[in-house]
Amino acid sequence: MSEELIQVEGLSKHYPPDVKAVDNVSFAIQAGQIFSMLGPNGAGKTTTVEILEGLRNPTSGTATIFGVDVTKDYSALRERVGILPQSFEPFDNLKPIEAVQYWAGLYDIKMTKSQVNTLLERVDLTERKSVLSKNLSGGEKRKLGIALSLINEPELLFLDEPTTGLDPKARRDLWRLIEEIRKKGTTVFLTTHYLEEAEKLADDVAIMHKGKIVARGSPHDLIARYGKMTVIVLSGAGSEALREIRRRGIEATEENGDVLVPVKDPTEMRIVFQKISGIELHATDIYTRRQSLEDVFLNLVGAKMDEGDLKT
Amino acid sequence: MSRILVDIKGFGRQYLRSIIGAFFTFAFPILLIVLFGSIYSGSGTQKVSLPVQNLDGSSLSVAYLNELNNTTLVNIEMIPADSNITTYINDNSLSLALQIPANFRSKIMSGLGPNYSGPVFVTVYGDKSQSTFGTAAAAVETASMSFNYNLSRTLPLVAQEVKGLKEGYKFLDYFLPGVIGITVMTNSLFSMSSICAEYRQRGYFKLLATTKLRKHEWLLSKFVFFSIILILSLLATFAVASVFFGTHSTITPLSLIMIPAGAFLFVSLGMLLGVAIKDPESGVAVANAIGFPMMFLSGSFFPLDMMPHFLQLIATALPLTYFNNGLRDTMVYGNTGGAIINLLIVVVIGFIFFFLASRLMSWKER
Repeated sequence: MSEELIQVEGLSKHYPPDVKAVDNVSFAIQAGQIFSMLGPNGAGKTTTVEILEGLRNPTSGTATIFGVDVTKDYSALRERVGILPQSFEPFDNLKPIEAVQYWAGLYDIKMTKSQVNTLLERVDLTERKSVLSKNLSGGEKRKLGIALSLINEPELLFLDEPTTGLDPKARRDLWRLIEEIRKKGTTVFLTTHYLEEAEKLADDVAIMHKGKIVARGSPHDLIARYGKMTVIVLSGAGSEALREIRRRGIEATEENGDVLVPVKDPTEMRIVFQKISGIELHATDIYTRRQSLEDVFLNLVGAKMDEGDLKT
Repeated sequence: MSRILVDIKGFGRQYLRSIIGAFFTFAFPILLIVLFGSIYSGSGTQKVSLPVQNLDGSSLSVAYLNELNNTTLVNIEMIPADSNITTYINDNSLSLALQIPANFRSKIMSGLGPNYSGPVFVTVYGDKSQSTFGTAAAAVETASMSFNYNLSRTLPLVAQEVKGLKEGYKFLDYFLPGVIGITVMTNSLFSMSSICAEYRQRGYFKLLATTKLRKHEWLLSKFVFFSIILILSLLATFAVASVFFGTHSTITPLSLIMIPAGAFLFVSLGMLLGVAIKDPESGVAVANAIGFPMMFLSGSFFPLDMMPHFLQLIATALPLTYFNNGLRDTMVYGNTGGAIINLLIVVVIGFIFFFLASRLMSWKER
């Protein structure tokens, strides 16, 4: 069994008069994994992470990293933990190569030029190492942030919404980088509101909503537990088809003009198809879709998530 | 210690690469010295242009104008005698004018005889609120007195002899410490208040909190950085004033101690303001709201004696006043005792601000 790096017990953060940013949260994280805390804006992800990073004090509860209480002696953890804060922006007037040297100095680490170059190469910034940070793209700035967070070769890396606001290519580049970091043995604590990101990267996911963890497990486990496994999609069939399907006792929902028929047990797929084929439908396409964390989230929270905002 | 040096280097690069930082550290004080130096040091004495309408035209009125010219305070320009003076003033947007009346000669001649019926009046037109008016009026007064002596053949019994307290010293010598004071204040106060707000808004404080750098080390590095660049700024400004405008004030060891003391005071004040400011724009606004009045009320541009009494009282509550006074004491007056007292006041106020800033500033979220 893997070592538990982080242990959180009954953690709460309340703000007057009655805001419960984090509400009695407990969880533990295994070493070597990518743990993803998933949730919409305002769910309490960043507050939880910042308590673990020693940047906020909890109202109650305990949080330990490597067995050290983060509220009492965070300085003991500084050399073992790396942090990329939410919405990271590098210092505008420093070049990546200078920023790495500067940051290393603040950790009392003397990095040689070749070590700096190796780190920048690792985050794919070699060609941009001598450009002022203000002239880097959004993705490059986050890569620089990750480079800074790796300066002390941390055993645990906190990445707070590292891909928010980035274009799809930059996001995929960062995903590759995060996977490489995990492969080198670093435990990654990743907060995100991108369901696809958590599903793709995380070994372990905690879905957070209104300050509480509402579900926990691997993406596969969560889909199995809270999803409806497989859905038959009748593309463009519309509400008339929905009524007809329901009249025959088949469970179905409508989404943007498509009719969705969930099939919980794969062995029933043939029977459901047979029932549907007896109905006169005007669908432009019929296909099956495996459910994702997006569906799990919808089922658990009752709303979809769009760039971190809930859409009912 | 090494972390402080690392932070000085890292922060210094950023600061000096920003156009605003470099401008306010070096270009701004030199620009002020060049501007004011050119205005006040160019010809030595500033003459006022005085348009004159001579309605008399006699040899006596010409002699009077010669006396006026001898004051060396005015440049006389003639207004045509056939024009209406008030219309002429309006049409030409004049702020000053002098009119010699048509009866100038006849009234003087009758006054020299037994039938004295009072003096003949020359009229000075002008805006009393303007400093040029005072110069022109003084010139006319002087010319009139001299003219009276000559005509009445009276020998002067009392005359004025002027001796400068600091021979060879110019306006710019008194202005230079003020410019240095403004530079120290703008760089330290304005920069630190907006830097604190920017660091908070962009999450840099949180980032720094995750490193080994401690808050007091960060504060100390800012103080050392600003002390170094402001001493360099002082030397550059002093060199420009000395080489191009021939100033006589001197850089003393005490003036070099005053710079770090001022940087300490205003860096601390900037950090104290930064505690309460949420974003850089507000930081600039608050620093301006505090810094600009202080700039004008603390004797940076003109002597405190020129201000009304209640403003002089306000000036005693402003830290820049003591910094300016201390610099002037040591650089211009050679008053070491006075400079040390002002230095101590600056340091004590600095410690109060530093103590409050380091207690109230938090890199963490509440």
